[in-house]
Amino acid sequence: MAFLDNSGDIILDAVLTDTGRMRLARGDGSFKIAKFAFADDEVDYGNYDKNHSSGSAYYDLEIMQTPVLEAFTNNTSSMKSKLISISRTNLLYLPVIQLNQIFAGTSTQMHTDGYFLVAVDETTEDELFGAATAITGVQGAARPSEDGNHVRLDQGLDTTQISPSNLLDADLTETQYIVELDNRFGSLVDKAGSTMASVSFVDDDHIASYYLSLGTDNLFVETNSVTDAATGTQTISGPRGTIIAFKFQASVDLNSSTFLFTELGSETSYTGAGGSKTYYFIDSIVRVTGATTGYKVDVPVRFVKYKG
Amino acid sequence: MATIFKSFLNNDVATTRTLLHEAVPITGTIPSGTYTAEANIKNYAHGMFQSVYDYPYLSSSANHIFDITVGYHSTSPLSQSSPNDYAQQGKKINIYNQMAQLLVGHDETGSIRKFDADGDLSGGTKMDACVFINFARLLGKDELKKGSFSMTFATGGNPPRRQYSTSADPNATISINDSGSNTDYRVNSPAGEYGILYVNRAGGDVLTHKAGLIYYQAGVAVITSSLWRGGYPITNDGGSAAQPRNQFGPPGSGSYNFSSHSASINAMLSGSSISGSCDGLRNSLTTLSFNNTTELNSTIYFCRASHNEFNYTSNPTYLNASKIVTKNKSTDMPVSYITSVGLYSADNELLAVAKLSEPLKKTPTNELTLRVRLDY
Repeated sequence: MAFLDNSGDIILDAVLTDTGRMRLARGDGSFKIAKFAFADDEVDYGNYDKNHSSGSAYYDLEIMQTPVLEAFTNNTSSMKSKLISISRTNLLYLPVIQLNQIFAGTSTQMHTDGYFLVAVDETTEDELFGAATAITGVQGAARPSEDGNHVRLDQGLDTTQISPSNLLDADLTETQYIVELDNRFGSLVDKAGSTMASVSFVDDDHIASYYLSLGTDNLFVETNSVTDAATGTQTISGPRGTIIAFKFQASVDLNSSTFLFTELGSETSYTGAGGSKTYYFIDSIVRVTGATTGYKVDVPVRFVKYKG
Repeated sequence: MATIFKSFLNNDVATTRTLLHEAVPITGTIPSGTYTAEANIKNYAHGMFQSVYDYPYLSSSANHIFDITVGYHSTSPLSQSSPNDYAQQGKKINIYNQMAQLLVGHDETGSIRKFDADGDLSGGTKMDACVFINFARLLGKDELKKGSFSMTFATGGNPPRRQYSTSADPNATISINDSGSNTDYRVNSPAGEYGILYVNRAGGDVLTHKAGLIYYQAGVAVITSSLWRGGYPITNDGGSAAQPRNQFGPPGSGSYNFSSHSASINAMLSGSSISGSCDGLRNSLTTLSFNNTTELNSTIYFCRASHNEFNYTSNPTYLNASKIVTKNKSTDMPVSYITSVGLYSADNELLAVAKLSEPLKKTPTNELTLRVRLDY
């Protein structure tokens, strides 16, 4: 997409997204705009110089000159960082969502390659879990209830300036999470691997959205009640809000076929039970968004299948 | 409670209807095919019409401009049942009937009506033999704008038409337009509204000589063959008579002996094939212009940000160790910048997105209303 002409009056370039057009074509009344949000995807707040020697008029000089791209029609490519409405103006800290890789030993840890390795069939699970030298960051997605490994994200104020013994303000506590996962690869299950989450909808790009709420989806979302420093198990240094934890159930396509692996992925080698062997893999992203605070984290996931 | 979405209220959504007009001027070199050696003129095996493109039609860059064809009624003097039919007579009658059926309709007995010169179907002059110019929707869009249509034909000189400017009566042209149709048009056609085309010579004869009909929604110009049979004023009638010296024949054919051939419009319509007639007409067309109309139905969404809304952001660069980077202390005013507006369904699916050309500053000291228009 090109940049928008910013030499004159402010213009607004509006397009329907692919999902919008799909719903419009469906003609079943599902194309109904009900709400709006603002976003600032292009803005780098690192350019905000609040100590500029020339005064406050110069604080955001660079930000105001940021060129803005034309609108993307892909619904998943826009509105990444949304603006938040909080009536209070005296907030100095805002909560974040962070991957917690230190809770309970290695069970929430990523692989050293920087991915959560998701074994999509039993052979792959046997190979990777049976390695002479344990491989960290592996999750079984064919039999997800048989290993305790999972993805965990913590929400709260990650600052040492405020003690974790303070309660996180209610209006900053995330109570609902949106998890987006490519539906062709798998689905979401709780950290015990026994209960599947119900998908809210699947868009035209095969992205499935799961809405998981505190109080409703207790197997996925819970309150973080640890209020001491607990540096060995907690990544949020300040007041803590909620936790979301989940793992994956491999799709039938990945479990029983190599088609998607050859179409979308590649091959690599891991040293499993049978020594160094070749595995198919597909790299993907699982996006976790706080539905009320808008904070977003992309979790890198690698779906792997034993080749031989 | 922190929120990222704001619901639209009833007074935040408005619908409008806008008519958008574009001027479409077409120079005579395009329909004549002069500059592409007729590679922009498409003939069909069935021979019932010709298509005119703005570029060689085999190219994917070519745009369809209009189709041209001719036809006459079975009761026309041009129609002959014995001893032999005229060239493609059956197809010419079929064309006339097809166009008349669509544009004029049927009478109470179910018979196809003829084209009427003034639109009063109860009587008056009927147009038995006509030239039909059907404009592509690409150019005509939803409809032609009333009162904007005009065409000019070369009338003098010797064939081929391309050379008219170097022949006798070099500037002899005849112009037709739908002058006055923006306030005076007819609605008794099954194909929508139509106006009457008049021959118009600069400085006079306005609304006097009827030359055909222009169907605005259908995008079809119906021109009576009488236009080329005399009785109409031409711009340079300093010759012997106020009658066009029209002669039609194959373009660029120096060996064709026009002097021994009557080559009148009647001779052309009866003796030539449809495509041959179209060749002659295209080559005498010097200018063509109209305005099209696009009907835009819009929904306008007023996205209002109150003073206490959208002052913070989830942008990852906004925080450093959870601390807001634009603030030194908690009493500093929060500030955020808007570059995008997302319109969502009730289930949070992004249905439309709008981008601002530059970031818009939002603080607790200002309120914003962004007007997002979606056209359908």
